[in-house]
Amino acid sequence: MNTSATAINKGAASNIIELKGVTKIYMRGKERLAVLQDLDFTVPEGSFEALMGPSGSGKSTLLNLIAGLDTASSGRLTVAGADPAAMSEGERAKWRSRNIGFIFQTYNMMPVLTALENVELPLMLTKLSGAERRQRAQTALRIVGLEDRMGHYPRQLSGGQEQRVTIARAIVTDPKLLVADEPTGDLDRKSADEILDLLQRLNKEQGKTIVMVTHDPAAAERATRLNRLDKGALVID
Amino acid sequence: MAIPFTYNLRSLFVRKATTFATAGGIALVVFVLASSQMLSNGIKETFISSGSASNALILRKGSDNELSSGFENKFLNLLGAAPGVKQGADGKALVTGDLVVVLALDKLGAEGQVSNVQVRGVMANTFEVRPQARIIEGRPAAPGTDEAIVGKGMLGRFRGLELGKQFDLKKNRPVTVVGVFEAGGSAFESEVWVDIETLRTSFGRQGLFSSALAVLDSASKYDAFEAAVESDKQLGLETERERTYYEKASEGTAMVIQGLGMVVFFFFSLGAMIGAMITMYGAVSQRTREVGTLRALGFSRGAILVAFLAESFVLALAGGVIGAAASLVTTAFKLSTMNYDTWQEVSFSFTATPGILFGAVAAGGMMGIIGGFLPALKAARTSPIAAMRG
Amino acid sequence: MNIATLAARNVLRNKFRTIATALGVGIAILTFVLLRTVVSAWSDAAEYAAQDRVATRHKVSFIMSLPRRYVNDIQQVSGVQHAMAASWFGGKHPVHEKDFFATLAVDKDNFFQVYNELEVPDEQRASWLGNRRGAIVGRVIAKKFGWKVGDRVKLAGTIYPGDWEFDISGIYDSKRRSIDLATFFFHWDYLNESVEARSKDQVGWVVSRIDSSARSAEISKTIDGIFEERDIQTLSMSEKALNNSFLGMFSAMLKAMDFISVVILAIVLMILGNTVAMGVRERTHEYGVLRAIGFLPRHLATFILTEAALIGAVGGGFGLLISYPIVEKGIGRFLEENMQGMFPYFRISASTAVAALACGLVLGLLAAIVPAYNASKLGVVDALRRVG
Repeated sequence: MNTSATAINKGAASNIIELKGVTKIYMRGKERLAVLQDLDFTVPEGSFEALMGPSGSGKSTLLNLIAGLDTASSGRLTVAGADPAAMSEGERAKWRSRNIGFIFQTYNMMPVLTALENVELPLMLTKLSGAERRQRAQTALRIVGLEDRMGHYPRQLSGGQEQRVTIARAIVTDPKLLVADEPTGDLDRKSADEILDLLQRLNKEQGKTIVMVTHDPAAAERATRLNRLDKGALVID
Repeated sequence: MAIPFTYNLRSLFVRKATTFATAGGIALVVFVLASSQMLSNGIKETFISSGSASNALILRKGSDNELSSGFENKFLNLLGAAPGVKQGADGKALVTGDLVVVLALDKLGAEGQVSNVQVRGVMANTFEVRPQARIIEGRPAAPGTDEAIVGKGMLGRFRGLELGKQFDLKKNRPVTVVGVFEAGGSAFESEVWVDIETLRTSFGRQGLFSSALAVLDSASKYDAFEAAVESDKQLGLETERERTYYEKASEGTAMVIQGLGMVVFFFFSLGAMIGAMITMYGAVSQRTREVGTLRALGFSRGAILVAFLAESFVLALAGGVIGAAASLVTTAFKLSTMNYDTWQEVSFSFTATPGILFGAVAAGGMMGIIGGFLPALKAARTSPIAAMRG
Repeated sequence: MNIATLAARNVLRNKFRTIATALGVGIAILTFVLLRTVVSAWSDAAEYAAQDRVATRHKVSFIMSLPRRYVNDIQQVSGVQHAMAASWFGGKHPVHEKDFFATLAVDKDNFFQVYNELEVPDEQRASWLGNRRGAIVGRVIAKKFGWKVGDRVKLAGTIYPGDWEFDISGIYDSKRRSIDLATFFFHWDYLNESVEARSKDQVGWVVSRIDSSARSAEISKTIDGIFEERDIQTLSMSEKALNNSFLGMFSAMLKAMDFISVVILAIVLMILGNTVAMGVRERTHEYGVLRAIGFLPRHLATFILTEAALIGAVGGGFGLLISYPIVEKGIGRFLEENMQGMFPYFRISASTAVAALACGLVLGLLAAIVPAYNASKLGVVDALRRVG
C-alpha cells in the first residue's frame, strides 16, 4: 500500500479524479473557515482510496466535492472527465446519477420500499421501462448476494444486509466511481468485514474506483492507497 | 469542521410554523365561538332593552304579537283605570296605545328588492311613556300631521327613510321624515313612528289599536294589574310584562343562531383538538432524549405530564386570546336579518360581554388540555434510558 | 412503482398521524358540508319555488287585504289559467303552541289546479270539497301532531281569536320541491262566514297559475296595471321571485355562513400543513439521499405534493362519508320535522359533495407548498447531515 499522497501513479491508468489548488471556505457568521486549503489530489482509475483523519480535517468535505454534492470555493476539479463545478445544479444531479454510486453510513434506504425497489431508485431517473429496471436491480442484488431478499423491507434486514442493498443500489447504474462515507461505521465486526470484502471485490473484479472516508483502520487496510488529512491538507508521511 | 447553521434555522422555523398552525387553528375556533355568542347576545340585548319589567304590554287575547292583535279605542281608558298604573306629571294615567303595521319599502343598495318595515302609529304621549326614546336629530312629528320619525337603525337602508325625505304610507299619501330617534339600542330603533290617526286612516284601521303599553308604579304591581285586566272577560285582552314579550319575540332567532353556533363550534373544536394532538405528539417524539434526561435526573412522571399539559395549554390559550381579540372586530359591524317571530327586518350588533370573551378563551385553553392530554401521557411514560439512545 | 404508490406507502408510514389527520380534516369537512347544506337548503326554497305561479298582494303592506272581487279580475287576465283567493289564518295547535306551521284559507274552486303539485288521493279531495270545515294538511305536520284522516281537530286563532274546529279531510305529499309539507289548508268560505262585518269579503292575496313561466314578469305587470288607478293597488310576482326577496332579508346571515365556511377551510389547511411539515422535517436525511443519487428538487416537491393531496383527499372523502348519516339523516331529519318552513328538504347536494372532495385535495396541495419549497431549497449536504 502506497502511503505517499503525492506520488503520481505512472503507468497506463489515467486519473479519474484530479484536484488542483482546491480551497473550500465556510462562513461561520462573520468568520471565514478554510476547511480545505489549496489542495492537490489525484486518484487513478481503478484505485481503492481511503481517506482518514481527525474530526474537522476536511475529509468529508473532500468527499462531497469529489461526489459533486458541493462545489469548491476556488481551484480546479475534474472527476470522470468532467468539471462538476461548471455545471448547474440540475446538470450536476444528472451527472451524479450516471457517474457516482453513493454509500452512506446509515439510513440509506427508504423504509417504505422493498430492497428491490430501493435498488431501482436510481434507474427511475433513466428512460428504462419498469421491467428493465427490475431486471437490472435484480442483477445488482445478485452481485451483492441478496437476491433472495429482494422483497424484504429495510426493517426486515440486518445492518449488514441493508448496507449490501445500498451497495447494490450504488452499482445498479454501473458508475465508474463509488463514494463511501463511513460505510462500516454502524456495523459489527463481522458485517463490516463482509462489506469490505464486497467493496474489494467490486474494485478488483469490476474495476470500480472507490473513494472511502473511514475511521476504521481495518477498512483502511483493504484500500490500495491510504490518504491522511489534517486541517484541510493532505499529510505527507 | 464548521457546521452550516442554515439547516438549524430552517428547522426552527418549521417548528415555529407548526406552532403557529396549531395556535392559529384554535384561534379560528375561538373566534367563531365568541362571534356567534356575541351575535346571539346582541339579538337578545336588542330585544330585552326594548322592554321594561315595570311596563305591561296589552294585546288582544289569543294574539301572539302586535301584528295579529287588534282591539278598540274605548278599552284604553279602562286600562288606564286599572290598579297599579302610574300617573304622569299631568295627573293622567301613563298608558298609550299603538297601531303596528308592516310596510313594503324599497331597499337601498339592493335594486328592485323590497323589504318589510315596521311602522308604529303612536299617540302624543308616547315619549312620556317610553322615556328611553329620544330624538337625536330633527324634531318629533307633530300630532295629526303627515310627519314621521325614523329609528336610527333604519338609516341608510331604505329609500325615503332619511331626514327630510319622503315615503308613501299608501298611494298618494306621502309622509315626511322630520326626525331621527334612538331608543337605548332596542328593537324600536328598527321602526318608523308616525301619528296614529294618520296611520289609521291610511290603513283603514280607524278606532283600532294593535297594542297598549301601561307604565306601572313598580314591577311588583304587575300581578295585580294582570289579574284586573284578564279577569274582565268583556275586555277580551291579555297582558304580559313588556320585557317578557320582547324576550319571547327574540327567542326563536336567538336560539337558531346560538344553536348553529354551538353545533359548528362542537365540530370545529374537535378538529382543532386533533390538530393540537398531532402537533404535541410530534413535539414529544422529537424531544424523547430531552424527556429521558429529565427522568434520569429524577423528575417524576407526574411532573412530566404536567409540564407537557402546561405547554399545550399555554399554546392553546395564546391561540384563544388571539381568537377572542379578533372577534372584537365584529362589534364594529351590524347584521340585519329578519326576525322570524315578528317578520320585521331588524339590525343586530355583536355585543361582547366579559363572560363571553373569558368563556371563549377558557374554551380555547380546554381544547389545548384535552388535545394535549394523550401526548403528555406518552411523554410521561418515557423511560430514563431514552436519554441515552440516539 | 410510481409516484402514486410511493405517496400511498409514505402516507401509511405513520399510521397514527395519518389517521388522526384524516379524522381532523374529516370533521372539519363535515362541518363544511353542514354549513353548505344549510345555505343551499335554505336557498332551495327560492330555487325550486314555482315560477309558473304568481302571487298578488296589497302593494303597501302584506297585512292589508284585497277585495274579494279582485280574484275575478285577475282570472280575466290573458295568461292566467286559474286564480284563487288565499288568506293567512295564523292558527296554532292549542297544545303545542311553539310548533309553527302555516295555516291558509283558500278558495275551493281552483285550489287543486293552482297547487297542482299536491298529491292527494281522489277520495280525500272529494271529501274536502264537500266539507265546509274540511282541511288538507301536509304529511309532516300530520305525523307530528298525530292527525289522521277523519279526525276532528281544533286550532287556536291568533288573528281571528277563538277556537276553530276542522275535520281532517286529507293529507298531502309532494314530489316537487315547490311546496313544503307542513301547511294546513282549509276553506276560505269557512273563514269568511265567521268573521265580523268589517272584515268580510277580504282576501290576503291572490294566487294564480299562469300558462308559461317565461311570462311571469310580464303577466305580473299586467295584473298590477289593472289595479293601478283603483284605491287599492297590488304587487304581483312569481312565487320564485317572492321567495328570493324573502331570502334577501336573510342575506346577511347567509353571508356570515359563507364566511364561516371559509374559516373551516382555513382550519383544514392548518391541520394538513402541520402534518405535512412534520413528515417532511422527519425525512430530511432521506430527501438528502435522494438528491445525492440524482433526484432533483422538483422531484422531491412532486413527492411531497402528491402525498399531501392524497391525505387531503382521504380526509375529504372521510368527511363526506360521515356527513351522510350525521348531516342528512341526523340533523337533516330534525330540521325537516321541526323547521319545515325554512328547511323543507335538507339533502346534501351533488355540488356540495364534489366541493368537499375537491377541497380536501386542493387544500392538501396548498398545505404542502411551503414544506415542499423548504425541502427543495435545502442543500444536499445539509440535508444529509440531519439524522433521523
